[in-house]
Amino acid sequence: MKITILHKIALTLCIAITLLCSSCMKWEYGQSEEFNTSGEGLFITNEGNFQYGNASLSYYNPATKEIQNEVFYRANAMKLGDVAQSMVVRNNVGWIVVNNSHVVFAIDLSTFKEIGRITNLTSPRYIHFISDEKAYITQIWDNRIFVVNPKRFEVTGYIECPNMTMESGSTEQMVQYGKYLYVNCWSYQNRILKIDTETDKVVAELEVGIQPTSLVLDCNNKLWTITDGGYEGSPYGYEAPSLYCIDAESFTIEKQFQFRRGDAPSEIQINGSRDKIYWLNDDVWQMSVFDESLPVKPFLRYAETLYYGLTVNPHNGDVYIADAIDYQQQGKVYRYSATGELLDEFYVGIIPGAFCWR
Amino acid sequence: MRLSRHIYIILTAIALLLCPFAGSAQSQSQKQAQNQTPQRNITIREVSVVADRPMKEIGVQQTKFDSVVLKENVALSFADVLAFNSSIFVKSFGRATLSTVAFRGTSPSHTQVSWNGMKINNPMLGMTDFSMIPSYFIDDASLLHGTSSVNDTGGGLGGAVKLATTPASADGFGLQYVQGVGSFKTFDEFLRLTYGNRNWQLSTRVVYSSSPNEYKYRNRDKKENIYDEQMNIVGQYYPTERNKSGSFKDLHILQEAYYNTGRGDRFGLNAWYINSNRELQMLTTDYGDEHDFDNRQREHTFRGVLSWDHLRNDWKVAAKAGYIHTWLAYDYKRDMGNGYMASMTRSRSNVNTFYGQLGGEYYIGSKWLFTANLTAHQHFVRSQDKNIILQEGNRAIVGYDKGRIELTGSVSAKWKPNERLGISAVLREDMFGTEWTPFIPALFIDGVLSRKGNVVAKASVSRNFRFPSLNDLYFLPGGNPDLKKENGWTYDVGAEMGIGKSESYSLTASATWFDSYVDDWIIWLPTTKGFFSPRNIKRVHAYGVEAEANLDVMLSKEWSLGINANFSWTPSLNDGEPMSPADKSVGKQLPYVPEYTATATARLGWRSWNLLYKWCHYSERYTMSSNDLSLSGNLPKYYMNNITIEKGINTTWADLSIKGSINNLFDEEYLSVLSRPMPGINFEVFLGITPKWGNKNRE
Repeated sequence: MKITILHKIALTLCIAITLLCSSCMKWEYGQSEEFNTSGEGLFITNEGNFQYGNASLSYYNPATKEIQNEVFYRANAMKLGDVAQSMVVRNNVGWIVVNNSHVVFAIDLSTFKEIGRITNLTSPRYIHFISDEKAYITQIWDNRIFVVNPKRFEVTGYIECPNMTMESGSTEQMVQYGKYLYVNCWSYQNRILKIDTETDKVVAELEVGIQPTSLVLDCNNKLWTITDGGYEGSPYGYEAPSLYCIDAESFTIEKQFQFRRGDAPSEIQINGSRDKIYWLNDDVWQMSVFDESLPVKPFLRYAETLYYGLTVNPHNGDVYIADAIDYQQQGKVYRYSATGELLDEFYVGIIPGAFCWR
Repeated sequence: MRLSRHIYIILTAIALLLCPFAGSAQSQSQKQAQNQTPQRNITIREVSVVADRPMKEIGVQQTKFDSVVLKENVALSFADVLAFNSSIFVKSFGRATLSTVAFRGTSPSHTQVSWNGMKINNPMLGMTDFSMIPSYFIDDASLLHGTSSVNDTGGGLGGAVKLATTPASADGFGLQYVQGVGSFKTFDEFLRLTYGNRNWQLSTRVVYSSSPNEYKYRNRDKKENIYDEQMNIVGQYYPTERNKSGSFKDLHILQEAYYNTGRGDRFGLNAWYINSNRELQMLTTDYGDEHDFDNRQREHTFRGVLSWDHLRNDWKVAAKAGYIHTWLAYDYKRDMGNGYMASMTRSRSNVNTFYGQLGGEYYIGSKWLFTANLTAHQHFVRSQDKNIILQEGNRAIVGYDKGRIELTGSVSAKWKPNERLGISAVLREDMFGTEWTPFIPALFIDGVLSRKGNVVAKASVSRNFRFPSLNDLYFLPGGNPDLKKENGWTYDVGAEMGIGKSESYSLTASATWFDSYVDDWIIWLPTTKGFFSPRNIKRVHAYGVEAEANLDVMLSKEWSLGINANFSWTPSLNDGEPMSPADKSVGKQLPYVPEYTATATARLGWRSWNLLYKWCHYSERYTMSSNDLSLSGNLPKYYMNNITIEKGINTTWADLSIKGSINNLFDEEYLSVLSRPMPGINFEVFLGITPKWGNKNRE
């Protein structure tokens, strides 16, 4: 009798276990998708959530108003990584800097397929090409700018930045004027560095306000940077942010426009003819590089959106603004004409932070 | 006749196991099996006679864990116990990584956790890391769901977890040693020394666990490139990688001393020391070289509680005092190319907490019970983060140095006018810093529907508040001193039943419907200045069902079977206003909160053999607040199966046990958190010895 019971118990448990496990998880393998794009296009790097590795790349065709999301994953059957910070285009190759993945991917602009990657980086933020065989990659949490050979995808050297430690190191956006490269130093910093691209050395530095966030070069060869002023309670200081105009040749401040304390301006951008600058400060603001005062009315008013990214079409002046919404869902990009008329809107990836024009 | 009944009971149990709606979450009181001898087998749970249900538990939705579950094996943390034996959601990156738990679709900081009465939620973060709690250190554990937590503490918008140690019931000297050796060069060791007599119970417990934790997995998130000489990619493949930077070394020491006068006074001392050194594992999408980076968290924590209980026939007073010191270090370093590891982030936190508690109970006859309780926690927190160079060239550290007093007090009246009905009213008030909550009311009621099946219906309602954590308020950068406290209402309705026959079988089941609203939900969001900052933005509506069923049955003199099943359905919806016209999150399930969880365990005993099968399931978790699915971030549902077989050997000089466990039996590739792969099939063998020296233990 006992044997009969045991047999039934065993059988019942086996059936139960089989049923319980019948829906075991199967990993979904990624499948590569073929793309073949051409003409004008806009890439949007979506940062994703820090530490979740869900950054993505979107591609928008302004002519057809077609948006393609997650094109890096779809073309390569692998993830873009953790915190896609920025992207630049050179010679039909897109270079995507993925900050917390410690990598810069190179992709074919037509197919979006990877053609190589640069690794051995600390915490990359932006890449700037000096030539086909030399590029600089700025870092946060490192007092060095990395010199790389993009053809060999390898680090070839470092530029030591003065008055920084690894812990307080922060170099950000780069613009070039002649043989000199200018870099804004952001986190707990207040400087613009001037680097000789022939010697890969810092040759000068210029103090501006607390935490310059971004940098552009206008048609008069003037550098424009905008500071965020730090934050309340910061031991580094807390002040009213400012917009600075710096003469690249003499490397001196020519103009300073002060905002109200507590404002958080960021994302300075410039149009194709390099005579108008744009920035975010709750609203979207626009100003001629020839103006002597800050505008009193915004280009686009705050409309319950969390503006996080900004770009201007270099060909027709259309303005694109990224709304991160709650930072946990697909962000939305709004496209306006140069005169402020809404032309299109589309969803992209999580936390759209930067744009790149093809 | 007897045979067919057994089969019927087994099939009923299987049906409960398989049918998630049939499970339920309430367990009946049971004997704590203090004896850790390897011959332990299924203990038939005592089914409470409804008329004898304790006054203190009127209307309370509670899950209790028995010692067989808590002492299953030395490698388990309390997070592992909860994952397979309860309906609450455990979020974990793997072994020895941050493991948080959340009730009913709330957040980890909405779960209040106490150890021997003292709150152990980190005052900086508000939550508790359950991977830092070895299950072998817990003798008595229970979950208070939703409203029921107001009986015990404030701030548990989701619920509360009560952990405690108890006297060992030793008679003379005792020793127990367990050694575990497992996959990935994992070693677990446990030693317990006990001494006891009529008045004294002394115990020292030590757990040490270490592992490089380098399990292999196929990385589907990235590909390795094969280049030709011109650096053209000529091939790509998904690499098989090791879990990089995931090693751990955890030491826990617990000293206990209890003195019972035998005349109604009991004194206790509990002191727990933790020394943890853990690497933080790299993401699947990290292309950095593991040897170039050191990403590590270290913790030294001491917790101590002194207690005094004074018991008389009709009343009881109790006092407790305690102290917690935590030193927490986080280091992120980078090899500069010459072997020197330069610091990129160096965070240090010091937390000192002083604790005091007074409580009393007074019975008037058998129909009335009055209780009063006052608890104080005084926190001092010094948090240091970045080391920066100031504009003038001096150095400074970014951080904060704050203290906060937290008071919570309650009074309650419990009334049982007859054997069928019980009513309990609780009034609580909290004060954090200088801010008081309004009175927090809670009302509980239960009633016997049927004596035949011991069927009891329960209902409760309560208001609750949770104050922001110290990081929420003061962390630099981003802390927001203007945050409001979260607040909400919760309603519970449920029923439980129990049938059984002494030394033959017991079957218990319960089901609870809950409905709760939380306003001013705090969430950390990025800012345009590049850092995160907390804000009160959401209103969350969480509702659903929790259910549990237990079956214990003696199949014959030598065979026993125990089955436990839990199920929860927890829609947890964003019920707030849209953040912008583009916001698609309103009305959607909160990200990373599963809508369905289910667990089941089956334990089959034969003589000195035990077979344990554990299963759990989490439904898909959304990674976006809009519940959209994406290729770059999705967490599919998964099923996890573990199995353990144990043999006890009873000799004249010692009790021995040998146990083998297989985790992730079907070698599932699964994720609990994005970009954090979990280990595949892995094994661990445990050898245990309990010598019978000291004569008094000798059989």
